[in-house]
Amino acid sequence: MSRRVREVFNILIASVGGQGGLTLSRVIAIAAVDEGLSVRTGETLGMSQRFGSVTSFVRIGPQNAVMSPTFSEGMAHVMVGLELTESVRNLRYLGEDGKILVADTVKPPITASIGTTRMPSKDWLVGALISVDPEAVIVPAKKIAYSTGNPRAANMVMLGVFNKVFGILSDDAVINAILTLLPGRRGETSVAAYKAGIKWAEENKVVQG
Amino acid sequence: MPERINPLKAPAGTKLALMGNEAIARGAVESGIYVVTGYPGTPSSEVIMTLQRFGKDLDIYVEWAVNEKVAFELALGASIGGARSLVTMKAPGVNIASDPILSAAYCGVDGALVMLVADDPGPITTQTEQDDRWFSKLAKLPTITPSNPQEAKDYVKVAVALSEKLQLPVILRTTTRVNHTVGDVVLGAAELPRKFKGFKRNPPRFVRAGMRWNLERHKWLNKQLGRVEEVLDELGASVNEVHGDGDVCVVTEGVTYNYVAEALNLLDLREGMRVLKVGQLYPPPKKFLKRGLRGCRKVVVVEELDPYLEEMVKALLYDEGVRVEIHGKHDSLLPMEGELNVLMVAKAISRVTGIPLPTSLQVNRETPAVPPRPPPLCPGCPHRASYIAILKGISKAGFRRDEVPIFGDIGCYALSVESPLNAIWTEHSMGASISMAAGMKLGGYDKPVIATIGDSTFFHSGIPALLEAVHKRINVLVVILDNTVVAMTGHQSTPSWSVTETGRKAKPVLLEDIVKALGVDNLAVIDPFDIDSMANVVAQYLRKPGVNVIIARAPCALMKVRAEGVKAVCRVDPEACIGCMACIRGTGCPAMYVDESGKAAIIEEDCTGCGLCAYFCPRNAIKEVRHE
Repeated sequence: MSRRVREVFNILIASVGGQGGLTLSRVIAIAAVDEGLSVRTGETLGMSQRFGSVTSFVRIGPQNAVMSPTFSEGMAHVMVGLELTESVRNLRYLGEDGKILVADTVKPPITASIGTTRMPSKDWLVGALISVDPEAVIVPAKKIAYSTGNPRAANMVMLGVFNKVFGILSDDAVINAILTLLPGRRGETSVAAYKAGIKWAEENKVVQG
Repeated sequence: MPERINPLKAPAGTKLALMGNEAIARGAVESGIYVVTGYPGTPSSEVIMTLQRFGKDLDIYVEWAVNEKVAFELALGASIGGARSLVTMKAPGVNIASDPILSAAYCGVDGALVMLVADDPGPITTQTEQDDRWFSKLAKLPTITPSNPQEAKDYVKVAVALSEKLQLPVILRTTTRVNHTVGDVVLGAAELPRKFKGFKRNPPRFVRAGMRWNLERHKWLNKQLGRVEEVLDELGASVNEVHGDGDVCVVTEGVTYNYVAEALNLLDLREGMRVLKVGQLYPPPKKFLKRGLRGCRKVVVVEELDPYLEEMVKALLYDEGVRVEIHGKHDSLLPMEGELNVLMVAKAISRVTGIPLPTSLQVNRETPAVPPRPPPLCPGCPHRASYIAILKGISKAGFRRDEVPIFGDIGCYALSVESPLNAIWTEHSMGASISMAAGMKLGGYDKPVIATIGDSTFFHSGIPALLEAVHKRINVLVVILDNTVVAMTGHQSTPSWSVTETGRKAKPVLLEDIVKALGVDNLAVIDPFDIDSMANVVAQYLRKPGVNVIIARAPCALMKVRAEGVKAVCRVDPEACIGCMACIRGTGCPAMYVDESGKAAIIEEDCTGCGLCAYFCPRNAIKEVRHE
C-alpha cells in the first residue's frame, strides 16, 4: 500500500533524450497503478528526441484526484534530474519547497560544443541548483550505475534515491514495474541499479529536505 | 518474475497504466475491429505499433500503408464489405487522405470505420497547429473526443457502435496530451473481429459519377447527421457531461476538461460553477448544450487552438435568443495558439469570475539561462554523412553553398537545418522537396537545385513529384536518403521490407526499380559514409542537365545498433589532438564534446563508431577501438 500519497504529487523528470527519462516516468506510473493510485504522465515522444531536451511530467495521487497530464511552473514537489544542464533549464517548474535530486552528469549540448553558445561549468550548474534548494541531492548516478554493470541505468539509480527520500511506492511495486517494462537481463541490471540507488541514499543519509 | 503484461490480452477488469494510444489499441480489440491501417505520424503511431507488438495471434490485420490516402481507402473498402476497420493518422495525414474521406461520407459504410485523427496543439512535433475539428465539419463526419486514456479506449467502442448505427465513418479526434499520456485504465472484454459480410452492387450509393445520386446521398448524409445525438443517447454513451451547478458555465472538451477541473479546485470553485464537457464535437450536441446552458449568466469556453466550440456556442445561443457574456478566444481571454495548462486556465477563470489566484500559485522562479539543446541527428546517422557529401559536392562543382538551395522533406533529416550542417533551406510537406525544387527551376532560377527526401517519404508522396520532373524535363538533383525505415516516428516498416512487423511476408519494392521505371536521366546508388565518392557524384550530377538521382543508402544508426550492437567506438588520443575542433564543427555529433583541457572528447556509450569524426581530423588523432 502506498504510504503517503494523500494529495496529488508532482514529479518533474529532466533529462537528455536517450538517458531513460521516459522509462523512468513509465516505471513510476506502472508502480503507482499497482499500488492502487491514480496516475497521469505528460511527455513528448516521437520526434527524434535522442540527445534533445526531454521533460517528463509524472503525477500520482489518490483515485480520481489526478486529471491533468502536465502541471505548470512552480508546481513540482520534486525534480529528478538525469543531467545537470537540463535540471537547471527546468528549475522554473519547481515549487516553493520543491526538492532537487539530480545526477552529477553533464552532457554539453552540441550548440555549446561547436561554440555557438557558451557552456557553463559543472560548478556553476550545481550552484544554480543549490541556490534554489540548499539541500539539493547530487548523486554520482553514472558511477553507481557502472558499478552495477549497466552504465545506462543511471535513471534507475535516481529512482532508488527518489523512492528512498519520498517513500511513495513500495520497493516490491517498483521492482515489479521495472521487470514488467524491461524484461530479461536489462530488467535485472536495472533492479540492481535501483537497489544501489537506495543504498547510496542510505549511506549518505539523504532525507527529505 | 512477472511476465510482461499483454495490454491487449489482459482480462476484463484489469487496471493497467496505459498510454492513450495503447488504450486505443485495446479499444480496437474490445470493439471487434478487424482491419487496422494507417501511416506513421506523431502522436498517432503507437496505436498500430501496440497492436503489431502485442496482437500477433488476435486475428487482426494490422499493417502500415504507403500513405494516409491509401490507408483510408483500404479501411473504407473493408468497411463497405461489412468488416470493422480503424485507420490512424496525424493531422497533416488527414490532408493527404481528405479526397476519399469526403466522398466516404456520401457512400457510408456497413461495418464500422473509425478514423483516429491526432492533432498536436503546441505544436510538439507537427508542422502546423491544424485544428481538425473544422475538418469534421467540412467532411460532415460524426466526431467524438476523449479527455484521458480511459475514455480513449472506451470511445473506440462508442465510435464503432455509432458508425454502424448511422452507417457513417466516425472520427475519433485526439490531441497529443491524450495520445501520449499514461493513465490508469480499466479494461473491458474483448470482442471477436468482424470480417467481410457481403457487398452488393449499388451504383447510386457507391458510384460518385451520378450527380443526381450525389444530391440524394447528400440529403441522406444530412439526415444521418441529424440523428447523432439521439443515437449516442440510445447507445447509452454519455460522451457529453455536466458537472456542478451555478450560473457561470465553462464549456470545454478533450484534455482541456482536466485543466478546467483542476483549475476550479485551485480556485476553490468546485461548487458554484457549471462545467459542460463536450465529447461530441460534430455535429454540435444541440440538445445537450441547450439544456446545459439554461440559466447561464456568463459562459467561458476553454479549448485549445481555434474558437471552434466558442463559435458553436455563440451560434446556438443566438438561435435561442439568449444574449449572455461569452468569453474565450475572440476576446483574447485565452490564446489561439499553443497548448493550454492548468495555470493558464486558472488565470482565465480568475479573470472572468474575479476570484483571485491563491498566492501559492504565484511562484515566479528565475531560471538561469543555459545553452539550448535542439534535437540533433543521432551519432552514426547516415543523413549527417549524406549532407556533408552534398555540401562538399556543391563546392566541388564550382558553386557557392548559398547559390544551390537544398530542399528538405519530412523526416529526421530535417534536423540537418541546425548548425553546424545548416543544410536544408525548406521543409514543407510530404514529397514537396522534389516538386518545390522543380518549381523553382520553372520559375526561372538558373543555378542547380537539390531535393533531399527520405525513402519512406519518397514512397509516400515523392513518386508523382519525380514523375512530373522527368516528364517536363526539369533539371533537378534528387537525393533519396535511404535508411530503409521510417525512423523519426519510431522505426516502422517501408515498402522495401520483405517481412513486416507482424511477420507478414511482403514483396520488397526497390527504390532503384521505381526510379529507373520513372525514366530519370542518371542514377547512382552510393554509401554516404564514403563521403568523397558521394561528393564526386553530387558534383558530377550538378553539372549534368537532366533529372539525376542519388540513392544514399545506409541503415538508420539506431536500428543498426539495436540489431547488431556496437562493434567499435572512436576514441580521441589527447596527446595527438591539437584542439582544433574540426571533428566537432564538421559533424555536430552529439557524442562529442570539448573537455576541460580544451580537447575533443567522445562519450563512448553514445558513440556508434561511424568514424565520421576521424574523417575531419587533420592529425589522425581519432582512432577506432574495437569492442571484444
